[in-house]
Amino acid sequence: MAVRPDNRLADSPMVPVACSRCGARVLARKSSWNQTTVQWNAEASAACLERRDAENLAAHAGRGLFLACSALSGSILDAVRNGDLPVVDESVRVTT
Amino acid sequence: MTLQSEIDEIRQIEAEAAPARFARGWHCLGLTRDFGDGKPHAVHAFGQKLVVFRGGDGRINVLDGYCRHMGGDLSQGEVKGDEIACPFHDWRWGGDGRCKKVPYSKRVPRLARTATWTTLEQDGMLFVWNDPERNAPPPEQAIPRIEGATSDEWTDWHWYTTVVNTNCREIIDNVVDMAHFFYIHGSLPTHFKNIFEGHVATQYMNGEGRPDIGDPGESQLLGTTSVASYFGPSFMIDDLTYHYEDADHKTILINCHYPIDANSFVLQYGIIVKKSNALPGDAALQTAIGLGDFVKMGFEQDVEIWKNKARIDNPLLCEEDGPVYQLRRWYQQFYVDIADVQPDMTDRFEYELDTTSPNEEWMKVVEANLAAKSAAGTT
Repeated sequence: MAVRPDNRLADSPMVPVACSRCGARVLARKSSWNQTTVQWNAEASAACLERRDAENLAAHAGRGLFLACSALSGSILDAVRNGDLPVVDESVRVTT
Repeated sequence: MTLQSEIDEIRQIEAEAAPARFARGWHCLGLTRDFGDGKPHAVHAFGQKLVVFRGGDGRINVLDGYCRHMGGDLSQGEVKGDEIACPFHDWRWGGDGRCKKVPYSKRVPRLARTATWTTLEQDGMLFVWNDPERNAPPPEQAIPRIEGATSDEWTDWHWYTTVVNTNCREIIDNVVDMAHFFYIHGSLPTHFKNIFEGHVATQYMNGEGRPDIGDPGESQLLGTTSVASYFGPSFMIDDLTYHYEDADHKTILINCHYPIDANSFVLQYGIIVKKSNALPGDAALQTAIGLGDFVKMGFEQDVEIWKNKARIDNPLLCEEDGPVYQLRRWYQQFYVDIADVQPDMTDRFEYELDTTSPNEEWMKVVEANLAAKSAAGTT
C-alpha cells in the first residue's frame, strides 16, 4: 500500500536549501510568504546546532518538542529573496 | 495552452481496501479501573477476541481469548490465583501465555502456549503493545507520563468510549486537517503547524472563540492553545488550554483508539482539568464534564462525516490544506515490518499552514452569522 505523491508537488516541487549556520541541507517549499514546508533527513537533523541545544534542554522540558530552527528559517527566507526558492502564490498566478 | 482532453478529464477517487494488518505500537484499551476488578474482560481488538484480567499478583494480563485446548472462551472463565481458568475444562493460563496446569491431567502437553500482549499500566490507563512481528516494545516509543494524571491538583479522568464503523485512518487524517475544524467543529484556527518525526506526529493549533456560536463555560472563550501529539499509531496527548477573560483553564485531552478489525475501531477520549483558584475542585470537575461533552459533540460531528464519506487514497489538495500525504507516509511506518520502514517515513517533516486566506473567508461567515443573529433578535 504505497502512499501517493502530494498533488501540489507536481507543479511546484520541493527545493534544496542549505542552512547558513550549520550547512544542513533540507528540502523546502513555500506556497505563500506565510506557508513553509521543510523536509529534513537524518544527516540534516544531526548537523543542526539549534536542534542539539533543544535536545540538551529537553530533559527539563516535559515532552520536549523542537519547534523549528531559527537559523534555517532565516536561510529559507534568504533563498526566497535570492530567487532560489519560488513562492507558489507569486509564481503561479491563475493560468487560464 | 490547455488541452481539450485536460478540460474533459474527470478526477477519479482511488482507494485500496483498508489494510488487513494492524498497526505496530502501543494501544490504550481504556482505564485500568475498568479492567482491574479480578474478573475476565473480553476485548475485540486487532481482528481478534482478547481476554483481559488482573491476576492475584496484581498484574493485568492480555491473552488471546480462546483456549488452545478445545477453543473455550476464556473471557467467560474465572480468574484463579494468577491465572485465567477456561470455563470449558478448567485449563489454567498464565499472563506469560503458558498453560500452567490442567487440573485433571498429570502433565501439560507440549506447545501449550497462547498469544499474549505486553501490557503497561500508566497514569490510570491500560496499554497493550501490538506487533505482528512479535518484537518487544522499544524503550524510545514508551508512552510519555502525564503529570496531571496522578496529581491531586488535577481532576480524575473523565472518559468516553464509543465504536466507530470505519477504518481508523480517517481519525488519523484529522491531525493535518485544519479546515475541517471550522466547517465541522465550529472552531476558528488562527495558527496551524504539523511536525512529524520518528514515531511522533504533532499538531500545533491556536484558535479563537467564535463570537457567533455559544461556547462551553460561563464567560466568553477568547481562544485555545493546543499541542497534540500522536505517540505511535493510536495514542494522542493534547495539551489543551482554554483562554477565558478571567483565567486560563489547563486541560489534557487524550484521543486514542484501537482497531476492532479493518473497518471498525473503538474510539476513546479522556479529559483531566487542572484545579486552580479560578477553578477549585468541584468547578474543575464540572469543567471536565462540560469540556468532555463538548469534545464528545466534536467527535460525533466527525463520525457523521466518516459514516458517509468515501475512503480516498488520492485526496485533491489545495495550498491551504495540510500535509495529508506526508502524514500518511508517517503513518505507514506502523503497517510495515521494521526492516521495511523507510527513512522518509520517520525523517523530520515540518509544515506550517498559512491561515490568512482561510481566516479572511471565515471571518466573513462569522460576521454574516452575527448580522443574521442580530437581525433575528431585533425583529
